[in-house]
Amino acid sequence: MEGRLVVAVSPHIRAEMDTRKVMMGVLISLVPGIVAGVWFFRWHALVLLASCLAGTLSAEASACILRKKPSTLGDLSAAVTGVLLAMVLPPTLPFWAAFLGGVVAVGVGKQVFGGLGQNIFNPALVGRAFLMAAFPVLMTTWVAPGPEAVTVATPLALMKFDHKATPLLDLLVGKVGGCMGETSALALLIGGLFLVLKGYADWRIPLSYLGTVAVLGAIPWAFRPDLYPSPMFHLLAGGLMLGAWFMATDPVTTPVTKVGRYMFGIGAGVLVVVIRLWGGLPEGVMYSILLMNAVTPLIDRYTVPVPFGGKR
Amino acid sequence: MERREEVSRRPWYQEYLKGLWEENPIFRMLLGMCPTLAVTTSALNGLSMGLATTFVLTSTSLVVSIIRKLVPGQVRIATFTVIIATFVTVADLFLKAKFPAISKALGPYVPLIVVNCFILGRQEVFASKNPTGRSILDALGVGSGFIFALTLLGSIRELLGSGEVFGHEVIPGWHPWVVMILPAGAFLTLGFLVAAMNAIERTK
Amino acid sequence: MSVSARMMLVLTVVGVFSGLSLVYMDKYAEPYIALHKKEAVREAIDKVLPGVDKVEEVHRDETVIYRALDSSGKLLGYAFLAEGPGYQGKIQLMVGVAPDLRRLTGMEVLESVETPGLGAKITESSFEEQFRGLEAVPAVGYVKAGRKPAPNEITAITGATISSASVVRIVNEGLNEVRRVVRAGPPDCETEATIKWKGGKK
Repeated sequence: MEGRLVVAVSPHIRAEMDTRKVMMGVLISLVPGIVAGVWFFRWHALVLLASCLAGTLSAEASACILRKKPSTLGDLSAAVTGVLLAMVLPPTLPFWAAFLGGVVAVGVGKQVFGGLGQNIFNPALVGRAFLMAAFPVLMTTWVAPGPEAVTVATPLALMKFDHKATPLLDLLVGKVGGCMGETSALALLIGGLFLVLKGYADWRIPLSYLGTVAVLGAIPWAFRPDLYPSPMFHLLAGGLMLGAWFMATDPVTTPVTKVGRYMFGIGAGVLVVVIRLWGGLPEGVMYSILLMNAVTPLIDRYTVPVPFGGKR
Repeated sequence: MERREEVSRRPWYQEYLKGLWEENPIFRMLLGMCPTLAVTTSALNGLSMGLATTFVLTSTSLVVSIIRKLVPGQVRIATFTVIIATFVTVADLFLKAKFPAISKALGPYVPLIVVNCFILGRQEVFASKNPTGRSILDALGVGSGFIFALTLLGSIRELLGSGEVFGHEVIPGWHPWVVMILPAGAFLTLGFLVAAMNAIERTK
Repeated sequence: MSVSARMMLVLTVVGVFSGLSLVYMDKYAEPYIALHKKEAVREAIDKVLPGVDKVEEVHRDETVIYRALDSSGKLLGYAFLAEGPGYQGKIQLMVGVAPDLRRLTGMEVLESVETPGLGAKITESSFEEQFRGLEAVPAVGYVKAGRKPAPNEITAITGATISSASVVRIVNEGLNEVRRVVRAGPPDCETEATIKWKGGKK
């Protein structure tokens, strides 16, 4: 009997890609960023990764038990959330806070909505937003890369509050203060390109997101280059690379249509530039993606394609 | 235009007990969310808000059930509102005079008891149709349910937000979760509590 | 009786009773409320001007200044209420300043609605103590945490620069107002009321 004759309802044509494969692809594409993070922040980065993973995986497992559902640890989505969360946290965050962030990310960000595919917001960013509100001081204490772990300001904070620019090469390599996995734009770019070329993520969102930030960032810079950062600085500093390639491309919380994805990227790009230049915070990537997550259902509703012969 | 008396037939102790659980204003009916979310930053604030609201609710139910046969149906809402507003102002002035610290902590939310929907709700569904004794038991029951909910909510938020409950240190060396004292913490805690109550209800 | 007549009658009676009970309650509560207000001011003055024995209220235009005297009748300094916008809402302060108006003797936050855990730290004594003995000439300033403050500067709270800067700005604005009032003439002639200080309260 087993496997000889499969009787199933449609669809009968199935792609080779399943959730586990996509998540595996995302994890592989995150490797360069993780390697850079561990290189720069040493054991801090490893502790952070381990705590976040412990948080997300245990929350996923216990939610499945509580909901009396088969375990979904195997689809690796909780692992991806854990790794992404670790990458957007300050390296010196205490392990218990990182663990808590992981629990909130999967517990509140995903499982209360009904698990993978049902969540409104990107789980890793929900975890980060929670930690940001819960431990504002811990979440804004940054250290310079290297074994010493000296407290520094991030390039964006230096720009915003002291009008000091950081050399672009340092931003590209990642030898600056910041979240564990966001500092090296180059490593993230390599991973992001891999993700897009292998077809695990749609190129439209990163393209429109990064493009909008560059174009909008260039306008004030063209008039007052002494006061405003250059578009290259906008692209390389902060969490933009990480957010654009790995978080704004989350298929669950972003629009399904092509037009919708452009709208998502452009909206998030506008928000980032507005928050960075005129908001109270130095960085706006997290809130830009979360806010666009919130309007995703609306975008989907207005960009739904008309079926052949159908009416609007 | 006499309003029909719909006297409740429950045993008298049930009039009180139902407010604690099956008709709990917060966990089962989700009414009166404004004070629930706004003032429960600490256990003491939650308790004092609960007490003030229970005072207003019980006094109003007492008066309304006494005059229920005299009030014409067309002006009943206006009458109830005037009575509620009077007791709210009395409570507000009393707190300001005798407990200035609590009054300051509760801020504008004491005057806002006047728009607490379940106070008007209890008059409409119960006190205006039932004899005085039952109405007072009903009001005390719903009030106790409200006190229970607000104190629980306040205790959890204070515990996670500062490691204390009623100002007493419970967990030494607790690193405060600031978010629990912010509005977001109120929504999160209430959500989890309602989920827990639903889970308990389902196992019955 | 017709329905409309009954409606009017019921509403009138309820309204009259409500009004009467409120008048009674207000009469009962008012002296207590006034007392609490006065006590709050006294306690705050006590904190910003230690050793105060007697306080005189000086009124000029809209401004109220408290002249604080010690037990021998010597002028200890001035205290004043100052308020202004903070990060989330109004901040009200009681500020104490030495008789020469060049040095602060203390600062106490009376009202604020800053973010708990961040801006709310302006109400903690570690922040308020920074104002004790602070030079107020040319003006009070602030530096970010980790840098060394000048004699006229305080250290801002980490992550709550806006709240800290608001306090500094409110102190400076109030101080300018007080200087204007004090220099405009001998304040004694403007004295309207003298609050007898009941010593030994602490």
